[in-house]
Amino acid sequence: MTSPTWCLARVLEISGLDAGYGDVHALSGVTLSVADGEIVALLGPNGAGKSTLLNCVAGLVRPWAGAIRWQGEDLQALDAHLVVERGVALVPEGRRLFGGMSVQDNLELGAFAPRAWGARRAALERVYALFPVLAERRRTAVQALSGGQQQMVAVGRALMASPRLLMLDEPSLGLAPRLVAAILEALVAINAAGVAVFLVEQNVPAALGLAHRGYLLEGGRIVGEGESRTLMADAHVRRAYLGPLAVRSEGGDPR
Amino acid sequence: MSPAGQERGWALAILAALGLLALLPLARPREDTLNFVFLVLLSITLAEAWNIVAGYAGQVNLGHAAFFGLGALVTRALWINGTPVLLAMAAGAAVATLFALVIGVAAFRLRGAYFAIGTLALGEILRTTVGNALPEISTLPAATIAGYRLTLRYYLALALAAVSIVAVAALATSRLGLGMRAIREDEEAAEASGVGALGLKLTALALSTALAGLAGGLFAYYHISYYPAHPFGPHWTFDALLMTFIGGVGTLQGPVLGAVLYVVLKEYLALRWVDVHLLIFGALFIGIVLLLPGGLVQAVERARGMFGGRA
Amino acid sequence: MTVLAQQLVLGLLIGGLYGLAAAGLSLVFGVMRVLNVAHGELIMLGGYGAFWLAALFGVDPFASLALVIPGALVLGAVLYAGLFGFVVRAHEEARVKNSLLIGFGLALALHALAVRLWTADERSIPTSYSGAVLSVGNLAIPLVRLATLILALVLIGALQLLLSRWRWGKAIRATAEDWQAALLTGIDVRRAYLLAFALGTALAGAAGTLVTIAYSVSPSIGLEWTLKALIVVVLAGLGSMMGTFVGGLVLGVAEAASAATFGGPYREIIGLVIFVVVLAVRPRGLFGR
Repeated sequence: MTSPTWCLARVLEISGLDAGYGDVHALSGVTLSVADGEIVALLGPNGAGKSTLLNCVAGLVRPWAGAIRWQGEDLQALDAHLVVERGVALVPEGRRLFGGMSVQDNLELGAFAPRAWGARRAALERVYALFPVLAERRRTAVQALSGGQQQMVAVGRALMASPRLLMLDEPSLGLAPRLVAAILEALVAINAAGVAVFLVEQNVPAALGLAHRGYLLEGGRIVGEGESRTLMADAHVRRAYLGPLAVRSEGGDPR
Repeated sequence: MSPAGQERGWALAILAALGLLALLPLARPREDTLNFVFLVLLSITLAEAWNIVAGYAGQVNLGHAAFFGLGALVTRALWINGTPVLLAMAAGAAVATLFALVIGVAAFRLRGAYFAIGTLALGEILRTTVGNALPEISTLPAATIAGYRLTLRYYLALALAAVSIVAVAALATSRLGLGMRAIREDEEAAEASGVGALGLKLTALALSTALAGLAGGLFAYYHISYYPAHPFGPHWTFDALLMTFIGGVGTLQGPVLGAVLYVVLKEYLALRWVDVHLLIFGALFIGIVLLLPGGLVQAVERARGMFGGRA
Repeated sequence: MTVLAQQLVLGLLIGGLYGLAAAGLSLVFGVMRVLNVAHGELIMLGGYGAFWLAALFGVDPFASLALVIPGALVLGAVLYAGLFGFVVRAHEEARVKNSLLIGFGLALALHALAVRLWTADERSIPTSYSGAVLSVGNLAIPLVRLATLILALVLIGALQLLLSRWRWGKAIRATAEDWQAALLTGIDVRRAYLLAFALGTALAGAAGTLVTIAYSVSPSIGLEWTLKALIVVVLAGLGSMMGTFVGGLVLGVAEAASAATFGGPYREIIGLVIFVVVLAVRPRGLFGR
C-alpha cells in the first residue's frame, strides 16, 4: 500500500519534540508527520515513549520543547478538550471508558465537543453501522462488555468527535486475534472514509500490514522511518520485531 | 546556614526570650499581663506539639484536643485528690500517650483526609462522652483557691514551652526527624528506602500527644473552674492548626510566631470585635494555603532573599 | 413501644435532610476530589437566606427555595472560581489535603461572619402551619417535617435525573470516573468541575432552607452539619445519590434508636461511632464503588 505522500497536505507535523515527566526524559527531538488520509504506524519497544507522544498531541501532556502543528495550527499549548474540538481524537491505551455508563452514553459523550455535538446522531449511526454488536447492546453498561466490545466502544467514542485524525494507543492489547482483525478492518473502513490514522501498535506485522508508512521510536528517538513495505523488509526491524525471538507485549526491548 | 543550623539558632533565640520572660514576675506586672503571657506560652506548647505530627510526619491530626482534654481530666482528678501536681501532669500525659498509641495503630491505616476526619470524629466522641459523663463544672476546693499562686503556674508554663521547643529541636535534627520529614515528602518513596513509616508516625504521635497531655495538665492546674468537656473542644485543635500553618508548618519557629500573632490579635480584637479575629485568621489561612504554604516563616525568608541575599 | 416508634419516625424525618446535606458534599468530592469541609457553613447560609427572606419580605419558607437554590448556585460558582478552582490544579492527594485546609479556613471565616452579622442566636421561621400534625395511629407526624423529607427526596431525584439526562450531567459523571478520558472526549473538565461545585452548593442551600423550616438555624450548625454530611458520605460511599439519601435515613434512624435506648446525650455519639467503624472496616462505604 503506497501513496505519494509528497503531494498530499501534511496535516500533522511534529518537529523537534522533547517531553518527559519529572526527571524522565521520554522524547528527544522527535520529528514526524502524518498526511491527509494516510495510515501511519508508530512502532517501538515498551518504554520507548510512544504513549507519551500520542498524549502530547492529544494535549494531556505538555511537551518541554518542539512544535506540534495540526492543519497549520500549533497544538502543543492547547487543553485536551480543545484538541478534540480541532478534529484530533485519541483512543487511549487501556480504553479508559466510563464504566458505569451505557454504551450509548459513552458514545454520545464522544461527540461532546461543540463542533461534533450537532452531528452526533449521524455519527452514532455510522458507529453502529461499523460495529453492529454495539447497536444491540446500546443500553448495557460498558463494564459488562467483553474486551473486544469495549475496544469497539473506545474506537467508536473517538469517532463520534468526527475527527480528521484518529490516534490509537495499542488497540490490540489484550484482544484475541479474531477481534484484533475486526478492529483493524474497522480502521481500514474509517480511513477509506477520509480519516487519517496514527497508530501505535506492538503487533508489528498487523500494524505494518495496515499502514502506508511507519516510524520506529526507540529510547525516545526516531531511529527509522519509511513506507511499510520497506520497514517490513528492513533487517533491524525484522530482527527486533518480526523474528521468532522477538518478545511480544510486556517484553520490553527485544534485542 | 543549613536548615538544621537555622533551627538550632531559632531554638536558642526562643529559649533566650523565654529566659527573659522568666524575669517578668519580678517586675510585679498586672495579673492581666501574666495571664496573657501564660496563654501565649500554653498556645506555643500546643502548637509545637501539633506541629510534630503535621509538620514532621505530614499528617493532619484533627483530634489533638482529645489528648489535651485527657491530660486535663487525669491531672485534675489526681491533683484535686492530693497527688503532687507534677506527678499528676505526668500521669495525664501518660494516659494521653497511651490512648494515642492504641488508636494510632488503627488510625494511621487511613490516609490523608480520612485520617483527618477520622481523628476529628474520635475527638468528638471523646468530648461528647466526657460531657455526658461529667456534665458538672469542676471547681477547686476553697483551700486550694486560697493558696492559688499565679506565678507558680506562670513558671510551669514557661518550663513547658521551653521543653516543647527543646523536644522539637532535638527531633528536627535527629535521625528520627529526618525519617519523619521523608515520610512527609513522599511516604511511598520513604518506605522504599527503608524508612519504617508506621513506627515513625507512631513515635511522632506519641511525642505530640505527650506534650499535649502535659499542656492539658497545665490547663487543669491553672483554671479554677471549668467544664470537664471544655478542653476536649475542637477549637483547641483548630487554634493549634491555625497557629502552626500561619506561622509556618514544619519549622521550629513557625508555631511560636503563629501563636504569638494569634493570641495578640485575638486579645486585641476581642476588646472591640469578638470573633472577628477568626474571620481574619480564616482569610489569612486560606491565603497561606494557596499562596504561601510555608507561612510567615516563608514570607520572612522571601523578604530576606529580596533584601539580603543571605539564604 | 409507641415512644420508640415515634422516635424512629422523627429520626427518619431528619434523616432525609442528612441525606440531602450529604448529597452535595458527595457530588463535589466524587467529581473533583475536593472535600469541602465548609459545606455545613453553606447549609447554614442557605438557612439564613430562607430566614431573612421570611423575616424581611414575608416569603413563605417553602417558596423561598425558588430563590435560595439559584442564589446558592451562583454562590457555588463564585466560590469555585475564586477559591476551589485553584485547589484542583494539584494532583489528587494534594487536592484532598488542600481542600480540607481551605474548607477549614472558609468555614472559620463564614462562621465568624455569621456571628458578626446575625449574632449567635438561634432563629426559626414560624408559619401558620408550623404546628400541623398528621396522626397515624398512635404516631404524631409533624407535617412540616414530613414535607421537608418529601422535598429532600424530590430534590435528590431531580439531581439524579440531571446527572443522567442532561448533557453536562453526563459530562460530570464522566469526569468523576476518569477526568483524562473525559478531556479526550472533548469535555471541558474545568467547566464540569464548576457545574458540579455549583450544584453541590445549591443542594447545601436547599438543605439549609429545609433545616431552618423544620428546626432552626444558628451560626453553629455549620460544624454539626458538616460532620453529619461526612458521616453519611462515609456510610453510603460515593457514586450514588439515592444511596446517599438512604444513608442519611439510616443515620437518622440510628440516632433515634440510640437516643431511645441509651438516652438523649448519646444521640450524637452513634453517628460518630458509625463513622469511625465504617472508616476502619470498609472505607468505601455501604454503597460505594
